[in-house]
Formats: sequence, structure tokens, C-alpha cells
Amino acid sequence: MTRVVPNGSKGTQRAPQLEAITVSRFAPFRGAAITAVNLLVFFVLWELIARTGFINPLFFPRASEVFSALYRGFEDGTILPQLTHSITNFLIGLAISAAIGIPVGLLMGASRVADLILSPYVWAMTSLPRVALIPLLILILGFGNAMQLTIIVLSAVFPIMVNCMAGVKTVDSSLLRAGRVFGTSQSEMYVKVILPFTLPFVISGVNQGIARGLVGMLIGELLGGGGNGLGYLLDRAGQQFDAPMLYAVLLLLAVMSVSLIQAMRWLEERAAPWRDITPT
Amino acid sequence: MVRLGAQYTDHPAAEPPERSEPAGPAKSSEVVGPALIEAVEVSAGYENRRDRTRLIALRDISLTVRPGEFLAIVGPSGCGKTTLINIIAGFVKPISGVMKVRGEEVVGPGSDRAMVFQDYALLPWRTVERNVEFALENRRGRVPKPDRERRIADALALVGLAGFENSYPHQLSGGMRQRVGIARALVGQPEILLMDEPFGAVDAMTREAMQAELEKIIAKTRQTVLFITHSIDEAITLGDRIVVISNRPGTIREIIEVNLPRPRFDERNDARRSARFGEIRGHLWNLLSGEALGATPTPATRSGR
Repeated sequence: MTRVVPNGSKGTQRAPQLEAITVSRFAPFRGAAITAVNLLVFFVLWELIARTGFINPLFFPRASEVFSALYRGFEDGTILPQLTHSITNFLIGLAISAAIGIPVGLLMGASRVADLILSPYVWAMTSLPRVALIPLLILILGFGNAMQLTIIVLSAVFPIMVNCMAGVKTVDSSLLRAGRVFGTSQSEMYVKVILPFTLPFVISGVNQGIARGLVGMLIGELLGGGGNGLGYLLDRAGQQFDAPMLYAVLLLLAVMSVSLIQAMRWLEERAAPWRDITPT
Repeated sequence: MVRLGAQYTDHPAAEPPERSEPAGPAKSSEVVGPALIEAVEVSAGYENRRDRTRLIALRDISLTVRPGEFLAIVGPSGCGKTTLINIIAGFVKPISGVMKVRGEEVVGPGSDRAMVFQDYALLPWRTVERNVEFALENRRGRVPKPDRERRIADALALVGLAGFENSYPHQLSGGMRQRVGIARALVGQPEILLMDEPFGAVDAMTREAMQAELEKIIAKTRQTVLFITHSIDEAITLGDRIVVISNRPGTIREIIEVNLPRPRFDERNDARRSARFGEIRGHLWNLLSGEALGATPTPATRSGR
């Protein structure tokens, strides 16, 4: 942080002073190294505990079995098509959710009338457990992709909407006053003040949309009976008592959601660099 | 008395005759010279529709501000100081009475008035330079692009921020952020500068430095300033006159002529060590300590609607 240095007669400021410090060359990789060791220990412990045989291997296979099931699954083509199906479906669903949720949410934040008209439905849909919709969706759309996509959109769109609305509604009142003092028109106020302020909210809305959308994706595939997707793989492995495959798919899902969330975090840092005031 | 630029030369301008200073509220009719801002029995309040009440924030404020004057406004928290400045800025409409600037009723914000906010109100996603540009680029008061650069550079140099053009607000200290706020307010060359506790959020050392610099800046740019503050010392140090507003509903308790020579922050002759300063300080302290102690929250004033 730079400080104000009043230096007598002339009110000039000194530039912030930067000094070099010595940091280990490996410092940037410390976090990654710790995570790697952590995971390694986790899987080794898993393997050891499973090998003792205290727990029924039917629901607690060895880590090595899980990894070999994963490898075999990729090799014989049971996993990859399902994985592609799920990811494609999910990304399309998320894109649709963002395309609907962001503009509608912004509108609800900006217009009292739109808020009054839409909010009962939005809140009802936000709080309704998504699984409850499955029978109805199957009735309307049948089994298959349309239904799976719909449940993803219905899961992801509302958190996005609600966050965008909240963003517009929480713009600092003094920023709005500054906008008016310095002569913005209505549209300039939106473009230059309200939307940039809302951007971080949009991103955190999409973040929540991702989490909810993944749940939607899975319940669609598990209960929708479309015969494809990671959910279907889980379902089938369960019915065949194929525990290693079950764990392998769960592992894949964990990797998938963590990478999506990390990608969003990366995006968040790019989109709102001014928020780095208190790194936590 | 109209403050002239000459006052900033070596000798202070001729002192106007001593006013009957602690003798009671000054009347606005005493003021000579053309008024730049004129409030005629302005009242303002905030409606609470659920309780069907209206909180009266200001009652019957009559006040004249002369061109080039530095008017300090002091009063306890919640006395309506900010409401007063918001009415002049054109954000708040009075419920009765008229606020005039140059004889015309205020109907909304205008390029002749700029504001400096207590919480800076900078756009965090813009650099210092682009924040200052904000005052020149919007529909009302737009300055053609080629002229902007020079004016921004001038404004930044004026507040001592040359070299920080590309910094972001979060990289600056509170005092420096407020310099950006001041540069943004000045760059459009407004006639009136409204300052709403501009140094309320900076530390004490920085605050004094900022006061000294503000005095210097205004000596160059010659704005008429309305300056809200909690600090008695700040009001006396900076103001030509001090308006004391009393609590709930806000009314003008007294208007005090400061009559201290400028510059106030003079190394050889610091106004803050003068007898006059102490005299006003004691008087204000008596006025405001009573206000602060008696500042019990009163229920919203019911007002027929």
C-alpha cells in the first residue's frame, strides 16, 4: 500500500517503493506439491485399509482396482462415450441457462415491475427440489436427451437469475449518485456503472449454476432412464455390483466438477481483478 | 462579502466589520452581494410508507451562499447535513420551499455542480485516469476526446497524483483515493463543489495534509465549496462561514463568520494558533456538545399527508 506523503510546499506524491526480496524458486509450486502428496497419501491409505479386508470389498474395493476399472473402461469404450455425452449435455444446458438467466436476472434487478411479476415464480422454482419435476418431465418429454437437458437448465437457471438480480440491486448508492452527478444518461448508467458492478455476481451465479446443474445432470441420467451419460454408468454399475466401476465414475465426477469450479475461479479473477483487496 | 481572488495574495483582504458573532442566529437578509445558492425555507423528509410517517430531516432552511465562498456545514450525525447537500446536488426534492442556484430552481443534477463523496465512490474497475475521465465522457457535460487528456492530466497534477494515472483505486490509500475523487469533481470545472465529509474516512495525519491541499487547490480553481464535516476544527480551518445545523429536524442554529486570513495553513502564521480560532472553537463546542448530548433519537415526526 502506498501512503500519502505530504512533503511541505509541493503536493506531489512519491511513487511506491518496490524492493526485491528472495523467494524460493519452488514457491509457486508449493500448493500443487502439497495437494499431490496429500492425494497420494489418501490413495495409499485407501489401498492399505482395503487390503486388510476389514470392510466388505463389495462396497469398498481397493484403490488399485478402481484405477484399473477406470483404465479398462476407457480402453473398451464403456466410459468415454458416456463421459462425452454428459459433458456435452451439461455444457449446452449451462449455456442455455446463462443465456436465459443472466438477461432475465438483470431485468428483474433493474425493473421493479419485472421483479414483481416474475419473482413469485422464480422463488418457487429456486426452492422447489428439482427431483420433484422428474416424473412430470418424463411425462412431457419422454426418456432421453430433451428431458435430461431440460432438468439441467431448470436446475442451473434460477441460481444464475437470482444472483444477477441481487447484483443489480446492491450497486452502491454512492456509485449511482456519482453517475448522476457526472451526467450519465440512463443507458450510460447501466453500461458504465451497473453492469460492471454486477459482473462478479453474474460469475458467482454461474458458479452456483454449475453446482446445481451437475446435480440436475445426474438425476436426469439416473432417473430419466435415457441409457446414456455418467449417471447411467453409475446406475448400471450399481445393479451389477461392480463397485470398482462405481468408484471410478464417482472419481470422474469429482474431477469434472472440481475442474469446472476452478475454471470459473480463474475467470472470476480475470473478470474482477479489483476484488483482490483481501486475498483469503 | 464576496471573496476575491486577491485574498489569496500575501495580505488578507480587508476584514469585514466584526459580526455580533455569538449573539444569535444570523439572518440570511444580512448577506450582501449576489447569491449563487439560495435556499428559501427548504424542508425535506423521507417517507416510510409502511408506517405512514415522514421523517423530517430538514425544516425551513433559509441560506444564501455567495460566489467563491467556502461554506462549512457542521452538525451532529443524522441532522440532515447530507440531505441539504443532496438537495443542492439535485438528488432529493424538498417537500416544501425552493432551492435555487443562480436564481433558478434546482430540478436535478447539473454540470455546474460536482460532488466529492465520503466513501470516494470511485469505479473500482477503472484506473485513476479513467475514473477522472468519467466526469468528461457522459452525455451531460461531454468533453471532446482530444481535450480530455490535457484536462485529466491537469486535474491529476493539481491534486498531486501525477504518476498514478494507471493505478487502480484499491492500490491507493484512502487519502489518495479521495484525491482521485477531488480530481474527478474538478476536471469538469464546475462552479460549485459539494463535499460530503470528504476526509471523514482518512486518518488524522492525512486529513490535515488534505485540508491544506484543498485550501491551495481551491485558491487556484476558485470554486464555491459546500463542505460537510463532523469536525469543528476542520470547519474553522477551511470555512469562510460555518453553518451550524441542529438535530432532528435539522434547522440552522447559527451561521458564524470565520474572518481568519488565508491561507490558513501558513507556516509562519498558522490560523489554527490564533486567538480567533480558539474563540470560534469554544463557541462551536458549546453549541454542538449540547446537541450531541441532547441527541436522543426522536420518533418519526408525523406529518399530515
